[in-house]
Amino acid sequence: MKIFKSLESGFTRSLKAWKGILLLWLGYLAIVSLVAIPVKGFFNTALSGSMITERLKDGIDAEVLGDIGSGFRYLVSAFPASLVVLILVGIILGVFFSGGIFSSLRISAGRFSVRSFFDASARYFWPFLVITLMAGLIIILLFLVIIVAPISIIMASGEVSEKAPILTIVYSVAAFLLISRIFILVADYARAWQVSQDKPDCFKALGFGFTRTFKTFFTSYFMVLIVFVVQMAFSLLVLYILTRWKPATGGGIFLLFITSQALFIFRLVLKVWRYGSVSALKEIKDAEALPPVETPQIPQA
Amino acid sequence: MKKNLLTIFAVIFITCTSGAQVINQNPLSSRITGYKIDARLDPVNKTVTGKMEAFWVNQTGETVDNIQLHLYMNAFRSNLSTFNRGSGKVTDSTVLGRIDISQFTLGDGTDLLPLTHYIQPDDGNLHDSTVIQVFLPQAAKPGDTVSIYAGFVTKLPSSIRRTGYTKDFFFVAQWFPKFGVYEPAGMRRRTSGGWNCHQFHSNSEFYADHSVYDVTITVPDNYVVGSGGMLLDEADCQDDASYKTQKWRAEDIVDYAWTAWPGYAQFTDQWRHVKITLLIPPERKDQVSRQFTSIKNALEYLTMNVGPYPWPHVTIVDPPLIGSGAGGMEYTTLFTSSSTWKIPSFIHMPEMVTVHEFGHAYFMGILATNEFEDPWMDEGINTFWEERILDHYWGERSGMIDHPAFRMADKSSARSSYVYSPDRQVVSNKENSWSYPKGTYSMMSYMKTATWLSTLMGIIGEETTNDIFREYYRRWAFKHPGPDDFIDVVNEVVKKNHGDKFGPDMKWFFDQTLYGTGLCDYKVADFRCFRQDTSITRIIEADTIVRGKPLKDSLYKCIVDLERIGEVMLPVEVLVHFENGNENLLTWDGKERIKSLELFSNSEIEWVKIDPDFKIRMDVNFINNSKVYVTDRTPVRRMSNKFIAFMQLFINAFVL
Repeated sequence: MKIFKSLESGFTRSLKAWKGILLLWLGYLAIVSLVAIPVKGFFNTALSGSMITERLKDGIDAEVLGDIGSGFRYLVSAFPASLVVLILVGIILGVFFSGGIFSSLRISAGRFSVRSFFDASARYFWPFLVITLMAGLIIILLFLVIIVAPISIIMASGEVSEKAPILTIVYSVAAFLLISRIFILVADYARAWQVSQDKPDCFKALGFGFTRTFKTFFTSYFMVLIVFVVQMAFSLLVLYILTRWKPATGGGIFLLFITSQALFIFRLVLKVWRYGSVSALKEIKDAEALPPVETPQIPQA
Repeated sequence: MKKNLLTIFAVIFITCTSGAQVINQNPLSSRITGYKIDARLDPVNKTVTGKMEAFWVNQTGETVDNIQLHLYMNAFRSNLSTFNRGSGKVTDSTVLGRIDISQFTLGDGTDLLPLTHYIQPDDGNLHDSTVIQVFLPQAAKPGDTVSIYAGFVTKLPSSIRRTGYTKDFFFVAQWFPKFGVYEPAGMRRRTSGGWNCHQFHSNSEFYADHSVYDVTITVPDNYVVGSGGMLLDEADCQDDASYKTQKWRAEDIVDYAWTAWPGYAQFTDQWRHVKITLLIPPERKDQVSRQFTSIKNALEYLTMNVGPYPWPHVTIVDPPLIGSGAGGMEYTTLFTSSSTWKIPSFIHMPEMVTVHEFGHAYFMGILATNEFEDPWMDEGINTFWEERILDHYWGERSGMIDHPAFRMADKSSARSSYVYSPDRQVVSNKENSWSYPKGTYSMMSYMKTATWLSTLMGIIGEETTNDIFREYYRRWAFKHPGPDDFIDVVNEVVKKNHGDKFGPDMKWFFDQTLYGTGLCDYKVADFRCFRQDTSITRIIEADTIVRGKPLKDSLYKCIVDLERIGEVMLPVEVLVHFENGNENLLTWDGKERIKSLELFSNSEIEWVKIDPDFKIRMDVNFINNSKVYVTDRTPVRRMSNKFIAFMQLFINAFVL
């Protein structure tokens, strides 16, 4: 019951934090646009004055990309580096905004104010960065242990069956996704605890995260797992829609932009839903842990 | 006595192998060579022990004083062999392979070993022992038959590069002493007769006469064997009950390879007269129908447009992961494909490999070109047909990949590889396979050739192209055509179908494409229209259009400027589209550097396209083939919007 109560409360809280979510969305849109706008400009210039765009109506055309020539080669070679920079900036942006979002998800948080949102974002930036880095480090180690190591071993063994390496990859990725949720949960609890404290203390927060995760493991984990399944299903749906939808008119393109951004905003809602649900569960457990309030006795006359 | 017996035996063997028919009613080739091999696989020591009787008939009018044979397996003998030097791979002693000849005599018993020495006709590399020359005790006069007997042990290399073994998987190719091709003066435009017997290079394939192979293979009982022959008989091995002996026969093929692995599952299917056998790891059962569909489509298309597939059998080997080095190779009636477990159906890679490798049954199996010297004639022509088959049966725009998010034609992959390559002008197609500079062999022999052949088809038409290949097949099947022989056929058929439309011959085309290194690039430089009273009605400045007031009965004089940027000159079509919807299709011989076309119309031009149907696939830049003043930016905007959304989702996945 606590799981569903927390999920319900988390969802309500995430909707209440819609302004924070919009700010987060704007942040992502801004950083991605830093790359997307020059790329768009590049293609517009490369294809300017040509009817070749007719061949792009049904999607990407490998021949057209090849014909762009050296410019496209440079673009392709620069892309991996740009992607790494984007990911790093995205992580920092996420760390920054999650301070404000976690703060606004507290039961004690009043009406959403942009000022207090940014105030909390700034206040919790460093502890949240350390929490993210620590959890991220553990997840990277998990990745190496659960995915890279078994695949390397099976490849080196010269296994006859080709099912084995492929199944190993599938099972390893599944195991990684399931186990990594635990450490994401630790990070969530740590951040939920941190915003409830006046003084930043990231290591104490991490300690709380670990303690609370394993103390309430089944409740917490299954709650996060439900959110994860919904998130995954939604992400696949978004990918399905975006890969197949090929509008050909200006209005259609605009609708595509609006829809894709709306879908991404909802994806952010689902992430904040997880934050909110963990915060709610933490508060429920905190309340349970408080000593019962004794009713004062009225002295007899 | 022994000599006499051997001579009698040799005569019987030659009579049996060259004349007797088991598979086809009549011989398909002139059968200059023939082989009878008794092979035994030792799976522990990874060797094949063989006894071989073979013959070469001097069907030329010349007297020949020596014979030359390939010992391909010696390419793996040391790191200093020409093959290993070329591949740049240093291998340790555990992976090396070799062929050791223990006995080598003429049919009459004359010992040939003292008369034998290694030669290195291509590079003089003394460490290379892939070709032997044997001076005959008596020169072979026209009509003479040289019969030889060889006892040999072939040690297979452990790293499979077309041939070798991994664990208990064996792919046995290039494994026996094999005659080179004696080319008399005049054949393939040679000025003097001689052996064509090249060393084994990492970037080369093979060249051989069509032969009859009677091969007896002895392997452990539990092994499944596939070969380029037809299985005639199978029995327990007489000297070891744990082994079995299979008798195979192949007729009129240029090479004989076989495979043995206990893990194969065997499937069969039928296409008209052809029995198709598929050997595949059992876990890839879901790929079986894909493989059969692919080869049936290829059989149908090539039979219809080139010529009949003359053998009643073909074997597809889809090697297991451990034997993937054997994948994608052709031995006429046996070829290797390449798939994996659960490979998604929208990726047509297995189909592509199967169609391509099967296509080699025609392009160097039947039309036995010299792969050493003219790799474009097998790989390039075959890639051209692979593209046509893939795009015909799996979709004009989805021959290679067919996913809603991304589609790609097979012909696009070849053209893009050529267009995208920075080395596309380094050499021409007229190179020996091993002479191509590093990294250019595949792009030039496969991709560029397929691209210029598509261009040729674009110019002369699909039906004429098919007529060319039908005639090429009719004239050269089971012979050794050279480049000029192919060009002669092109010239004749084009003239027959089109008269002098393309000039007295097609030399101008081949000089620029096959023998040239120039680029083909046409561009619509500009267009403009003037109202007949000479006042300019359309001024274009910085992408801004200022329109004059169109009058209903206005007459416009329009000028279209075309440009030839590249060196290659090909005839092209020019499509002019007017604002009132009228279109004018013009032709330009493509020779001038700058060409101005003058048109009169009741409407202004909206856009101009050179080669509107993309027939000239050699054009390295389709983007500048058209001009419009208001570009449709919708596709770029759509891609940009999707890119933003995908990137947002992707980055968000990294944020806790």
